[in-house]
Amino acid sequence: MNVISVDGLSKSYGKGTTQVNALQDVSFQVNQGEFVAVVGASGSGKSTLLHLLGGLDKPSGGYVHIDGENLYAFKEKERAVFRRRKIGFIFQSYNLIPVLNVEENIQLPLLLDHRQPDKAYLNDLIRTLGLHERRKHLPSELSGGQQQRVAIGRALAYRPAIILADEPTGNLDSANGREVIELLKLSVRQYHQTVIIITHDMSIAAEADRVLHLQDGRLQSDTRSLGRGV
Amino acid sequence: MRSYGAMAGKYLKQQRKRTILTIVGIVLSVALISALGTMGQTLKDNLIQNTKYERGAFYFGYDKPTPELYETLRKHVLVDQLGYYRTGERSPLENSIAVTVEEADGEALKLLPIHLYQGRLPTAPNELAVERWILDRLPGTPGLDGSARLVGPDGEQRDYRIVGILNNEKRSQVNGTSRAFTLADPASMPIDDKAILLLTLKSGVDISDQIDVFSKLNSSLFTNNTLLAYMGESGDDNLNTALAVIFGTLIGLVVLSTVAVIYNAFHIAVLERVRQFGLLRTLGATPAQIRNLVLREATVLSTIGVPVGLLIGWFGLWFALWLMTQAGLKILMMETFELTFHWWIFAGSFAIGYIAVYLAAWLPARKASSVSPVDAAKGAGGIVRESYRRARIPSLLYLAGVEGRMASNNIRRNRTKFRITTFSIVISIMLFIVFHYFTQQTLTMTTTTNEDDRIAFQLTRTAIPDENGMRPAAGELIPDEMASEIGALPGVEAVYGIYDRMVLPSLVPETKLNGDLLTDTAVRYEKTNLGGEGTHRVPTRVLLYDEARLKQAAKYLHSGTTDPEMLAEGDNVLLIQTVRPIQNSGKKRIMDMTRYRVGDRISVWTNSGSAGEEPEVHELTVAGILTESPFDASYQDSSLTIIGTQPTFVKLLEAAAGQYPPSEFDAERHGLEIALRDGADPEPIRAKLLDVARAHSGSNLIDYAENQKSARNFNVQMRIFVYGFLVVIGVIGSLNIVNTVQTNLLLRRREIGLLQAVGMTMGQIRKMATAEGIWFGVIGSFWGILLGVLMSSFLHKQLNTVQGFPFEFPWGASLIASGAALIVGLISVQGPLRKMEKANLLEELREEA
Repeated sequence: MNVISVDGLSKSYGKGTTQVNALQDVSFQVNQGEFVAVVGASGSGKSTLLHLLGGLDKPSGGYVHIDGENLYAFKEKERAVFRRRKIGFIFQSYNLIPVLNVEENIQLPLLLDHRQPDKAYLNDLIRTLGLHERRKHLPSELSGGQQQRVAIGRALAYRPAIILADEPTGNLDSANGREVIELLKLSVRQYHQTVIIITHDMSIAAEADRVLHLQDGRLQSDTRSLGRGV
Repeated sequence: MRSYGAMAGKYLKQQRKRTILTIVGIVLSVALISALGTMGQTLKDNLIQNTKYERGAFYFGYDKPTPELYETLRKHVLVDQLGYYRTGERSPLENSIAVTVEEADGEALKLLPIHLYQGRLPTAPNELAVERWILDRLPGTPGLDGSARLVGPDGEQRDYRIVGILNNEKRSQVNGTSRAFTLADPASMPIDDKAILLLTLKSGVDISDQIDVFSKLNSSLFTNNTLLAYMGESGDDNLNTALAVIFGTLIGLVVLSTVAVIYNAFHIAVLERVRQFGLLRTLGATPAQIRNLVLREATVLSTIGVPVGLLIGWFGLWFALWLMTQAGLKILMMETFELTFHWWIFAGSFAIGYIAVYLAAWLPARKASSVSPVDAAKGAGGIVRESYRRARIPSLLYLAGVEGRMASNNIRRNRTKFRITTFSIVISIMLFIVFHYFTQQTLTMTTTTNEDDRIAFQLTRTAIPDENGMRPAAGELIPDEMASEIGALPGVEAVYGIYDRMVLPSLVPETKLNGDLLTDTAVRYEKTNLGGEGTHRVPTRVLLYDEARLKQAAKYLHSGTTDPEMLAEGDNVLLIQTVRPIQNSGKKRIMDMTRYRVGDRISVWTNSGSAGEEPEVHELTVAGILTESPFDASYQDSSLTIIGTQPTFVKLLEAAAGQYPPSEFDAERHGLEIALRDGADPEPIRAKLLDVARAHSGSNLIDYAENQKSARNFNVQMRIFVYGFLVVIGVIGSLNIVNTVQTNLLLRRREIGLLQAVGMTMGQIRKMATAEGIWFGVIGSFWGILLGVLMSSFLHKQLNTVQGFPFEFPWGASLIASGAALIVGLISVQGPLRKMEKANLLEELREEA
């Protein structure tokens, strides 16, 4: 079943001679439970694609359908609500809220929706992330790997259908990076979530179900790893 | 955490320093507005009190009332107090002096400006309150509780018991007629031409509207103009409007600056977190939720800041006044100048504080909620995407080397922050200039400024002819030794001679006369042809000043000299050509009536100038020009004043002997005016002068020390209060600059940490911060002075409706304000820089992670 459907997606910045086409006529579908890696050189349009998939930016052309809903037919407020319920973001620079502790950072998407978190699920999640001892710590008191695990926890808190990760291991050493990837794969297996991850690391790409290769804003190739289906 | 809203509280708690800076901003603004409101209201209250004291507490009255009018007023639903007053018959006493017993009912005694010195006011028709100076001259020289037989208001002789002694009035002594007051007999209060009715209206009644209505009852209505003007209820609507516009502008300015300061404090704090708000957007926060967060912070901050600001404003003011009285100013009887408490000021400041905070929060909140989540997600440590504008013209700061170049880039890098910082300096400077201008003009308008208000006694030749109609002989009355003996008494500031004066026409050529006088006023002078040139015959007062007077005149010198030796040479004189004529619009305006300069010659026509007589002209040289008259009225309506020393005056007297015969006029001293120091005890001086007066027959002591003291005290208190007002504005303006500059710098700790990390020394950073500070000061001063002067000239236009005077560029205030802004700005960057020097570099870099 298609959870994401991208059709003729384009994004350009500037006008006239200074116009830059960050993304040109990209189309693909992603099934539920797929672990998709997006690779490409710097400036190939990876992050732009991810932002458009998450409804953070507006495309110049084309459509993004998530769970059958046209993401850009929503109004600003509806899109924000849709995003917090359906999509979890993970960034390279963690982007935690500095004044909130681990537990609060993870709960935040639920609180924004005026919902009280399911304690059992939350405890389970924090334990799985290995953050139980540090649940009352502030981001500034955590290591990089721990901060990224908090960010993952935050992305998983609402049990969104889709997790979008922008180089989540970029700031981490290989051991911590490994751990993060395992957690993401676990979420695919355990909660049947769809993960789209941007990476430069070909060893991570090799573990994905599919690899989308972008070059100069165009989809160069879409490779499925045989026998790696979940 | 139960709700995302709790983030606001968490943020404020963890970013304690920022929170405190923002609260300080709010506290200062609310303190400013409540302190200024209280001071302004206190000033107004005290002016009203003083006017009631000087001119009476009645709103208006009728000087030709009828019995029917009295009945109507007595039953009138809007009338609060109704007083009856009637002048009496003269009771002649010895030496051409007289006393008039006037009757007033209980209300009128309260409404009239009657100043009790000792005892009490009369409460029965046989009781009397008399002036202090007349006490000795009443038959039998009765003291307090003594009795005197005088002509009563009904023309019958009566015995009166003296129950009260009143302060001496100058005019009654000069005229030789004193007013005494008795209580009107309720059984017989004749309402005739000699009676006057005085009244006030119930509170809440629109007085200015009622004046017309009440004048229809009887056409003899007159108003207590000054009092009504201060109450904003003058019958002249233009005046009311002008006053409303003036105070509206001042209040508007203060409110504007309050909002601006709070806005600045809040805006900077929000701007720095725009990325965080963007991050919340990536998590699915709606714009409304972000706005909500910012507004929650605003609520917390204002709930702390506004009440604290109110307390600090009130107690700060109270403390400042307390310090003033402690610092030896007790002699000024500050207790008569009271700090008045008004709920509406507190409620108003409270409301303005809250509104300002929400207004200040609303705009940044909107900005925060509209932040692009993409930008937030992208920025890996950057705070806000800043639009850097390439300089077209290299900044002057480039001259300060690499640090100057950095400073210039920093300033241009973030226009919003630049505008916010400059704006708060601009506001501070503008506020100071405008209030300085306004308070100075208010002082000129509400208090007398010249040396006359220090004069408490006059020792003169009796001006009134004796029983045989003979004036006392001319010649010197008081010898020099006596004058210097009086001058040496403790508390005496100066002793001035009293001399004869003349009024002669000056022949002013067309080119020397200010054309505005002829176009804007109804003043016209007779024209005379002098040596083929058309001239205006301008009435000119010719006065004689001794050295003591010239010494004071130096304070009013516009150009030239007041040196007695220089003035004694040739035909040198001082000139006062600034006058205050009534304009066609009905208002008075201060202007120069002629355009004489030092060195010019003035032609004075010395003979009578009757038909067929050849004009005799005496030429004088202008050696100095004064801005206003140091003694008597500061300005004449439409005549020039020439001041000479004895030799010049003698020559003029000789030339004008036809009009001023030597038998009656001379250049001798005929009396003394005695000026007292502030706070001097007049009693021993009075005793000494009384001795002198008794020893010199034909001399007369005019004693108005009590009234002089209270008028002078009021003037001095007004001055102190007005300067206190300016100090409060200055202090709050400075604190505003300190707060903005320090917030700006503290919020850049991480950036400065980075600069240190790449090898910038603390010395270089200090130089950079100083260069930025100076630049902010220069730009802020430029706009501050520009706006300040514009606002001042706007106020000037409004004040012109009340009283006219030329607009002067407020150089002094501009220099003080911009100089102070620069110094305060430079000093205030030192603290945070020193703190940064001591702080751990790595900690600072980590802080924002």
